[in-house]
Amino acid sequence: MADVDEITEAYADWQVRCNGNRRLAKMLRGWDRVVHLVASDTGDGFTVTVAGSVLADLVPGLVGQPDLVVTATSEDFADLFWGDLNPSEKYVSGDIVLAGSSEDVLRLDAMSMVAFLDQ
Amino acid sequence: MSTADRTVDVVVAGAGYSGLHAARHLVAAGLDVLVLEARDRVGGRVWTEVTPGGATVDQGGQWLGPTQDHLAALAKEFDAPTFPTWVQGANVEVRDGTRHEFHGLVPTSDADASADAIAALLDLDLLAQEVPADEPWTHPDAVGLDQRTLAAWVDENVESRAARDLIATAVLAVYGAEPSELSLLFALGYAHGGGSMSALIRTAGGAQETRFTGGAQQLALRLAGELGDRVVLEAPVVGVDHGPRGAVVTASRTAPDGSTSPWRVSARRVVVAMPPAVQARIAFDPPLPGARDQLAQHAPMGSVTKIHAVYDRPFWRDEGLSGQLIADTGTVRAVFDDSPDDASHGILMGFIAGSEDRRLEGVGPEGRRALALAELAFGFGPRAAEPAEFVEQRWSAEPFSRGGPVACFAPGLLTSCGEALRAPVGPIHWAGTETATAWSGYIDGALSSGVRAADEVVSALGAG
Repeated sequence: MADVDEITEAYADWQVRCNGNRRLAKMLRGWDRVVHLVASDTGDGFTVTVAGSVLADLVPGLVGQPDLVVTATSEDFADLFWGDLNPSEKYVSGDIVLAGSSEDVLRLDAMSMVAFLDQ
Repeated sequence: MSTADRTVDVVVAGAGYSGLHAARHLVAAGLDVLVLEARDRVGGRVWTEVTPGGATVDQGGQWLGPTQDHLAALAKEFDAPTFPTWVQGANVEVRDGTRHEFHGLVPTSDADASADAIAALLDLDLLAQEVPADEPWTHPDAVGLDQRTLAAWVDENVESRAARDLIATAVLAVYGAEPSELSLLFALGYAHGGGSMSALIRTAGGAQETRFTGGAQQLALRLAGELGDRVVLEAPVVGVDHGPRGAVVTASRTAPDGSTSPWRVSARRVVVAMPPAVQARIAFDPPLPGARDQLAQHAPMGSVTKIHAVYDRPFWRDEGLSGQLIADTGTVRAVFDDSPDDASHGILMGFIAGSEDRRLEGVGPEGRRALALAELAFGFGPRAAEPAEFVEQRWSAEPFSRGGPVACFAPGLLTSCGEALRAPVGPIHWAGTETATAWSGYIDGALSSGVRAADEVVSALGAG
């Protein structure tokens, strides 16, 4: 189980990685979204806003009208942001539930692959 | 119509997964069914063999993936044991003649090329989501997409050669064809039928996720066992005389002395459960409508040879390797760890596909073996050059499949003849994985196509 601080720390690492990635910026062009993250085990909620190919800071709580809702365990969120899991596999296995369009799922998958390419 | 040697309600031509599943549903509806199969076995493009050394190898289709619900249900019903495809460890990439190791779906030795490939994959997947998998020809820009090849799209949208090579490797493994051979519309609809292009090329979380202990043919054998003497082997259908009230199907039966003779079976309905290119060898009287005949002529099978190198154990795992390999050039462009669940043997399985498969026609089995083993040794070390056994299944030389894994629709075909793909012709109904509305090209699609064709027949005959 990961607490709010751990998820926030992992997200901050992911955010730097993504926002500093010129390839990702290209892939996210035109994909402006409000994303709600819901930790199924702890009940914690977070909001991520993507605008102009930039990921904003993680905001505690579910803020605004979401385009996409991602539900997973707190541990999976932390692992996702640290790059330790493949979201597509977790999505297919049902461990990560995405309420949004198929386009949103595909973009998240591509984001996670590109974000860690240079590791 | 000529006189018949036997009369049934329905003849099913082909005892692959689609034909067997269709027959099962027709029998359940109370119909008298006869399945005519050309080969001396059932399963079609799914064929499990045990080597002289005791290794079980799937010479054709072998995997079960997420959302392949028809196959999963059948496996559950027959209590067929499954296990995850081995993916632990580093994958090997051979790029520009250099060996690299990587983790995950996409190689990382050239991050720019990999990013290009991922971006292209995303763009293709986004396009694919807009193409109806069941009726690609209804897409608003169907004609535009159908006039182009997948290669043309890649050339226009992917800058780096390395990324284009990566995509070509994936396409060869999935379709058994070069990107230049595929209509873009067909490639997109096919991908959408399996969820996305990404889903088709993934192992964990994708189409290659799960294997059957004891091989993938076992479910076909169980289906055939249920059907009993309704399945007749070594009886290729050579002709179908049809009219408004039914058809007379002519099969060529082989006697114990090797002589052949025509065998005529009268039926109210016929289910043709085979790829279009194989169906094209059947003489229909009266001839099929032009669109259906053209469709069969312009949808050639992919070219693929499946090789298995069998070792005493999966030695690559000791070195932290997964057994998966992709290569930008060469003979074997994609390799998987195909060892059994208990690792009682080590097996590396690879695909020789597309133009390379055709190029190596004249090299012969020994030549292909030498080329393949040299490449396996480059990827996995010198031990890979000395397998205890080596087997190949060259599907393009198999007369009752004519290639594999699936028919590849040429540019322009779907928009001009696509509607003929499943449309019954009088008493004739079409099954086979190529006619599936989801997971076309896979065992799951074969099964669903069989059910759909059987439902058509049951409805037409007022049975059930």
